Amino acid sequence: MNWVTTFFSTSVGKKILMSITGMSFIGFLVVHLIGNLTIYGGKDYFDSYVDHLHSLGPVLHVFEIGLLTFALIHVLTGAVLTFQNFLSRPVRYQMNRNAGGRTLGSATMPYTGAILLIFLVFHVLHFHFADHTVKTTFEIVTGYFVNPFYAGAYVCVMIVAAFHVSHGFWSAFQTLGINHGKYTPMLKILSLLFACIVAAGFGFLPIYFNMFI
Amino acid sequence: MSTGDGMEKKINLTLKVWRQKGPDKKGKIETYRAEDISTDMSFLEMIDVVNEKLVLEGGDPISFDHDCREGICGMCGAVVNGRAHGPSKGTTLCQLHMRHFSDGDTVVIEPFRSRAFKLVKDLVVDRSAFDKIIQAGGYVSVNTGGVPDANAIPIPQEKADLAMDAAQCIGCGACVASCPNASAMLFVSAKVSQLALLPQGRAEAPTRVINMVKEMDNQLFGNCSNERECEAECPKSISIVNIARLNREFIKAGLLSNEK
Amino acid sequence: MQLDANVPGGPIESKWDKHRFELKLVNPANKRKFTIIVVGTGLAGASASASLAELGYQVKTFCIQDSPRRAHSIAAQGGINAAKNYQNDGDSIRRLFYDTVKGGDFRSREANVYRLAQVSNTIIDQCVAQGVPFAREYGGLLANRSFGGAQVSRTFYARGQTGQQLLLGAYSALSRQVALKKVQLYTRRDMLDLVMADGKARGIVVRNLINGEIESYSADAVILATGGYGNVFYLSTNAMASNVSASFSAYKKGACFANPCFTQIHPTCIPVHGDYQSKLTLMSESLRNDGRVWVPKKPGDKRKPEDIPESERDYYLENKYPSFGNLVPRDVASRNAKEQCDQGKGVGETGYAVYLDFKDAIKRDGQDVIMRKYGNLFDMYQRITDDDPYKTAMMIYPASHYTMGGLWVDYNLMSTIEGLFVLGEANFSDHGANRLGASALMQGLADGYFIIPYTIGGYLAGTKLNAISTDHADFKSSESAVKSKIRTLLSTNGKRTANDFHRELGTIMWDYCGMARNNDGLKIALSKIQNLKGEFVENVKVSGIDKEFNQNLENAGRVSDFLSFGELMVEDALARQESCGGHFNEGFQTEENEARRDDENFSHVAAWAYQGEGKPPVLHKEPLSFENVKLSQRSYK
Repeated sequence: MNWVTTFFSTSVGKKILMSITGMSFIGFLVVHLIGNLTIYGGKDYFDSYVDHLHSLGPVLHVFEIGLLTFALIHVLTGAVLTFQNFLSRPVRYQMNRNAGGRTLGSATMPYTGAILLIFLVFHVLHFHFADHTVKTTFEIVTGYFVNPFYAGAYVCVMIVAAFHVSHGFWSAFQTLGINHGKYTPMLKILSLLFACIVAAGFGFLPIYFNMFI
Repeated sequence: MSTGDGMEKKINLTLKVWRQKGPDKKGKIETYRAEDISTDMSFLEMIDVVNEKLVLEGGDPISFDHDCREGICGMCGAVVNGRAHGPSKGTTLCQLHMRHFSDGDTVVIEPFRSRAFKLVKDLVVDRSAFDKIIQAGGYVSVNTGGVPDANAIPIPQEKADLAMDAAQCIGCGACVASCPNASAMLFVSAKVSQLALLPQGRAEAPTRVINMVKEMDNQLFGNCSNERECEAECPKSISIVNIARLNREFIKAGLLSNEK
Repeated sequence: MQLDANVPGGPIESKWDKHRFELKLVNPANKRKFTIIVVGTGLAGASASASLAELGYQVKTFCIQDSPRRAHSIAAQGGINAAKNYQNDGDSIRRLFYDTVKGGDFRSREANVYRLAQVSNTIIDQCVAQGVPFAREYGGLLANRSFGGAQVSRTFYARGQTGQQLLLGAYSALSRQVALKKVQLYTRRDMLDLVMADGKARGIVVRNLINGEIESYSADAVILATGGYGNVFYLSTNAMASNVSASFSAYKKGACFANPCFTQIHPTCIPVHGDYQSKLTLMSESLRNDGRVWVPKKPGDKRKPEDIPESERDYYLENKYPSFGNLVPRDVASRNAKEQCDQGKGVGETGYAVYLDFKDAIKRDGQDVIMRKYGNLFDMYQRITDDDPYKTAMMIYPASHYTMGGLWVDYNLMSTIEGLFVLGEANFSDHGANRLGASALMQGLADGYFIIPYTIGGYLAGTKLNAISTDHADFKSSESAVKSKIRTLLSTNGKRTANDFHRELGTIMWDYCGMARNNDGLKIALSKIQNLKGEFVENVKVSGIDKEFNQNLENAGRVSDFLSFGELMVEDALARQESCGGHFNEGFQTEENEARRDDENFSHVAAWAYQGEGKPPVLHKEPLSFENVKLSQRSYK
């Protein structure tokens, strides 16, 4: 085995993979959210943003392929870690109480992750692989968002994403060895703040469509 | 003796204890009464009382590891009511006193559970995996003799203090027991940190961290997912700052040094 | 038997140097042909195992715990002495030597103590090189604190966990050798017998505590580093598994037991609070640096300590010993506490406690400073007693802590059995009748790192050793003796637990052979122990079977040895018709109630030789001569 595979096959190495890919998703979420906010500017504004994005051409494809690769790494590594962790305690405790370290976000990472994965499959199918020749992207989006069932599910998933991020954000830094008496407390606050932004920023979109349009 | 709340109190408890004859035997929870327990007793002294009675009745006393009974040897430990070393923070089981329990309480006592800690009997587990990890690199390779004067290398007080914070680890295994993933990262990071912080340990820092992490994986501990249960439960309050330092050391060693 | 200490000639400063030169060396290539057994993994055992393996010997190391890191050295709190003179306060090798001999009330062997002081400095160097995080000053250099029995600051420390840090250092060195396969580690093994062949120590018989199997191991030499016998008092600061059985089995095979009555009662322990109590907890002696010891002037004063005005407090140590004050040696501090309590001035529910008060120190230095120095000790105190020592005075009382006596060894640390070496607390050599604080760690590491690696080479190079395997008849007879003892314990099926017997033995020892002794009491103790021993044989109840993990059986075996050993201890106390250090016979005291030695008749090591079950042991004397210190009445006034 060469040193790269050796490095990333250790428990810490795998965590580093999770951390780097996770951080890139955080970056993606920020960009995605900023882009989505153009929806509030109305149909033309949003569609022109989409056109603008598509005009990037090959650059966009590179990013798409990059994201897909990272997603695969994140999901597969996450699955391996979860499976290993499951095996690491064959006999469970009859009584188990938290000592105060765990949060709802940290305790549910594999589950929230799985939900997000399922969501992403549909999300990409619905929006990325939709027929963009008939309807504009804005119309596709509104088409889904006015459906109350879809809108409700979407809001729920965004809350799930917020929990995932609330732990993932600061945890990614910790895994990369970034923990400092001065900055980590801020990072943890930022973590929660960012989680709220994700939930509110994305989650409000369908509500907006249902209530205000 | 306590003048804190005046008088010594007696309480009665119901114990639900994991009993298992051996590693390959089937285990189950058994119920015992612990009667007339003074609240000034330590938790282990309470088990002593139950055991003395069991011996006289011809039963099999509950096996549990213990030695110094002053919270430093790291020999004792069990999961009490779902918490490693019981409900008090920064306390080993031997230093947990019965004044933290109330009359009529039911107390569930289970061994530390992890695939890497094979059960020996009842509450006794085999923690030799920890020794194996230390053998993989938890030392500075100096032979006896031929070392420089102790004051030859000044060490900033802050660094020495941080090293000492990490070095306090008693190797009890509560971090593993309380980790939802049964990970040993806090234990490993405490030793890696201590030696990484001191100039004496720097020379071997890259090999040490890589070898210790590999051995940790080899012993089938789970993976750290930064749940922080370990630091919340550690009887010596060792911080996960040490885990971050291990990660840092690991990245440095893996990516920047020539170690593989 | 003639006890020859093998002390080399010449001036004391050059004895060790000369001896090292004269010791035969084992050729480096030949070292791997020798196997050495080390029993115990405390400071002495772990450091010896590591150092010998580094030299190239094949080492087999045994411990009773699940890991060598748990040996009871780990519990030492205060620190380790060395004559570094980093503080520029007048310390020197000679002063450390002098303080140790004087502190031991002139009952130790000069040459051994001098060597201890000589190697003390290298120990600190070694530990720092291993990454032991000693306390440091702002400038990055090592910090020191002062300790009882010395007027210089020579104690190195790592918070209140010095023993832990030093042990983990030695454990790491040992672990490195285990990884290199130079040391074979056997954990959860209880040494039950020493095996001899052709008059030499050649192996041990142990019980595998996991499955109860009796196992034999052979070697070219055996090192015992099995600690002290403080648990003979049942309640002590020793760990629960600390026992005398390994030493006692060697004694039964012909190793002389020296000065068993020299036991140290530590002055600052948390007082006893109930019958169920299983052990006592020490509060580091370093607390006496800032804490002031006092009792109410009026006997039976039941007011809270903070309600008793200054004028009604008796700071008895400061008043009686103005120059050392609260920092008098341990035996003096302990005895004075007992004296105050016997006069009815003791405090707490039982009346067996004195105050250790930090009020003035907190007022002077601020709570922060005190917290930084003693925070972990204060927390521990609060956890156990539920009292907050920042707000109210601590209560302390003496408890059995250390045993100066042990197997007799010569200058090479070899016992009266050829090939059996004894290190650390298990031997008797360096502390005389009383050990000074922070000297136990020093001695354990000196023996293991810097003495045994030289002296064992001299033995192995100069001795003809036949090949031996565990099939040898001597192993077989040892094994069957051990098995039959276990069978007897399991089949007695009486009505009292071993622990119950142990508790009763402890009470007898504490009452009659504790801090103060007298001839009548000792005679009573002797008959009480004999009766108890008789009852044990008839009436002990041990649960379970031999071929399993059976802690009850382990304990019963240890208690049975403590019973026999207790008798020897009392016997020794009776034979020593003087007072010295930790052995205070009320019949021999000065007008000021200090220990009165009888240098004319008792300036010797009392080494007891076993004669067989039921026969009185024979006393051999190793005369002690003092050429480098002047014998004087110890005075700390």
